[in-house]
Amino acid sequence: MSELAATVTSPDGAAEAPRAWSRRVLSATFTGLGAKLGLAWIMVVAFCGVAAPLLANTYPLAMKSGGVVSFPAIRYLNWADVTLLAGTVVSLILFFAARGLAVPTRLAFIVGIYGVLAVVTFLTVRAPQLQGFEQYRGMEASGEIDWSVYAPIRFSATDRLRDQPFDAEARTHPWPPSNTHLMGTEVNGSDILSRMIHACRIAMSLGFISTGLSLFIGVLAGAVMGYYVKWIDLIGMRIMEVFDAIPTLFLMLAAVAFFGRNLYIIMLIIGFTGWVGIARFVRAEFLKLRNVDYVLAAQALGLPLRSILFRHLLPNALAPVLVQVSFGVASAILAESSLSFLGLGLIDEPSWGAMLNQAVGATGGFQWWLAIFPGAAIFLTVLSYNLIGEALRDSLDPKLLKRE
Amino acid sequence: MLTYIVRRILLMIPTLIGITMVVFFTMAMSPGGVGAALAGAEGNMRPQEREAVRKYLNQRYGLDQPAILQYFRWLNQISPVGFHVNEDGSYGRFTLKWPSLGESLMRRRPVTSVVAEALPITLLLNVITIPIIYAISITAGIRAAQHRGKRFDIGVGTTMVALWSLPVMWVGVMAIGFVANREYLYLFPTGGLHDTLATRMSYLPGYVNGEFRIGYLLDLAWHLVLPVICLTYGGFAVMTKLMRASVLENITADFARTARAKGLPERVVIYRHVLRNSILPLITVAASILPGLLGGSVIVESIFSIDGMGRLMIDAINTRDRDLILSITLVSGLLSLSCLIVADICYAIADPRVSYE
Repeated sequence: MSELAATVTSPDGAAEAPRAWSRRVLSATFTGLGAKLGLAWIMVVAFCGVAAPLLANTYPLAMKSGGVVSFPAIRYLNWADVTLLAGTVVSLILFFAARGLAVPTRLAFIVGIYGVLAVVTFLTVRAPQLQGFEQYRGMEASGEIDWSVYAPIRFSATDRLRDQPFDAEARTHPWPPSNTHLMGTEVNGSDILSRMIHACRIAMSLGFISTGLSLFIGVLAGAVMGYYVKWIDLIGMRIMEVFDAIPTLFLMLAAVAFFGRNLYIIMLIIGFTGWVGIARFVRAEFLKLRNVDYVLAAQALGLPLRSILFRHLLPNALAPVLVQVSFGVASAILAESSLSFLGLGLIDEPSWGAMLNQAVGATGGFQWWLAIFPGAAIFLTVLSYNLIGEALRDSLDPKLLKRE
Repeated sequence: MLTYIVRRILLMIPTLIGITMVVFFTMAMSPGGVGAALAGAEGNMRPQEREAVRKYLNQRYGLDQPAILQYFRWLNQISPVGFHVNEDGSYGRFTLKWPSLGESLMRRRPVTSVVAEALPITLLLNVITIPIIYAISITAGIRAAQHRGKRFDIGVGTTMVALWSLPVMWVGVMAIGFVANREYLYLFPTGGLHDTLATRMSYLPGYVNGEFRIGYLLDLAWHLVLPVICLTYGGFAVMTKLMRASVLENITADFARTARAKGLPERVVIYRHVLRNSILPLITVAASILPGLLGGSVIVESIFSIDGMGRLMIDAINTRDRDLILSITLVSGLLSLSCLIVADICYAIADPRVSYE
């Protein structure tokens, strides 16, 4: 529908130009090796985040005991697991099956699917409150299970191995990497590899949701400032100066300490501190564009402000914002790991930063496996987003584009 | 120029008020506000004692009043002009008065003295860090621009993106774990700024009875190596990129061609003509990396157990010490804003075309 409207208002085909341009920018972005590797790593992290319960789980995915086939892992899925797994499968099918629809429409559909699924599963899916990790291990040991299919990593993220093994000497965690625990265990005895995989989910969701929030605030603030100029701009610039001069980590620490350590609070805080960079870019673009002919034409036609700002100006100002978004996701992930590292992250949830924090023990011992693996995961993820951001910026550079 | 500086300094006031307001209301909006943490800090008390504490806190901080009034109370306390506060907590005349940062509730000491202990340490770290950042980024940026598109340039570019993405906490933990650990290299101390026996050392290194003594100053430098490395690398990654772009702009400029045409050696062209014009953007960036350095020192200080502003802030936040949190925010905000002004003035000095009149 939107496409139809666009072609009607500009019959000379001008409406097609921005889309072709954005496609060209995207293809130029991912020609370089760095951006390709970055995208590949992000895909790996995203896959691990979505499929975490299938990749690392203490419960058997399927088993037969006493003549009955059951799926214990499914029984223990919580609403977030179900939303992510089902939502991703449906979205992937939709994205590739419905090629007839425009990409933004498809993206909107996907966001809608996730939203509906989240609400429905939140209301209906109830995972058991008590975990029974030992139950199946016991059944396996006593030979009650005829056959079973396990996840590649046979430990859940919160499986602390409390009852294994029975001599006190071997129970002092962390353990270095071994054949049972490929990356060792952490202080409380959970498997590091499993926690690494489950932590992908927090990193990805936090990066996207908090940057989405900064994008929303930043675009809104930047658009209003750049379009109205005068005193609104003056006040906005002062507010931006305020947010620039506060060391963000101070603000985040204060907020998390006072509001409690909750994933949504952390997302909100990172989102609220990250909007300044985006607003600055949107404002600069809008300042440049506000007196361009097509904007004046839109004003002369008496279009509502919403339409002028977000239909006509924003699509033309969006390119540099995308670069900021890529860097924003990187810094959001970094911010969450810094909070976790300082001991103010999520409680009991797996997080790369929190694992890194355990590497140097209170007594001065150093557990190298707790430093290398989580640290490398943070580094690679941040590096990937930065590489994509850099590539995007280079491909948006008019000096470089013209040469092609 | 003077009027410009005065105007900028006056414009700092609303910004500082804004900064402290953001932090204040973040604390005030939390469930229970500041009062819940303060009242809970005393542990078990008899009802009349608890009542007395509550009364004292209300009188001292106005916790029974709305948050906005509490904020104005605090503003009045730190402002050099305001209402005089009488002994019983009531407000008197509007006069000039001595500003006070308040008292740290958990430490039972004036905030000023607590901050005065921590600030020099963080400043020392940053004063050492900034010149190193500049030295590396200027040399690397110039060389990368000279060898544009060649192996050195690509190598520097890739390294810088990688360094920029390296999380400080990972570098710090790895440094402590591998470089400063007894089991591995053990080249540097793991934490602190001084040896435990530092007070008994002579100031300068020297030989006593034919045996080398490290001395106070060298001991400090030895302790500073790892923290400074952690603070430095992120900064020069950004700056090198900037320097390279800026040199590239000038290296093909007309004046550089003229200098080459009149037969000056390339070294003189680069360091006398190009460098001076390329360094301008780096001056403004210095101001914007300072808040980042202050934030970064939170992590570095907590990894290396250095008692600077960052560690003080974490401690203040963990103990919900309201006045201390606000004062640290104020001081660091003041520092970054002053750096912005200094950068603008330097910019005008470095580039005669810039004028703020």
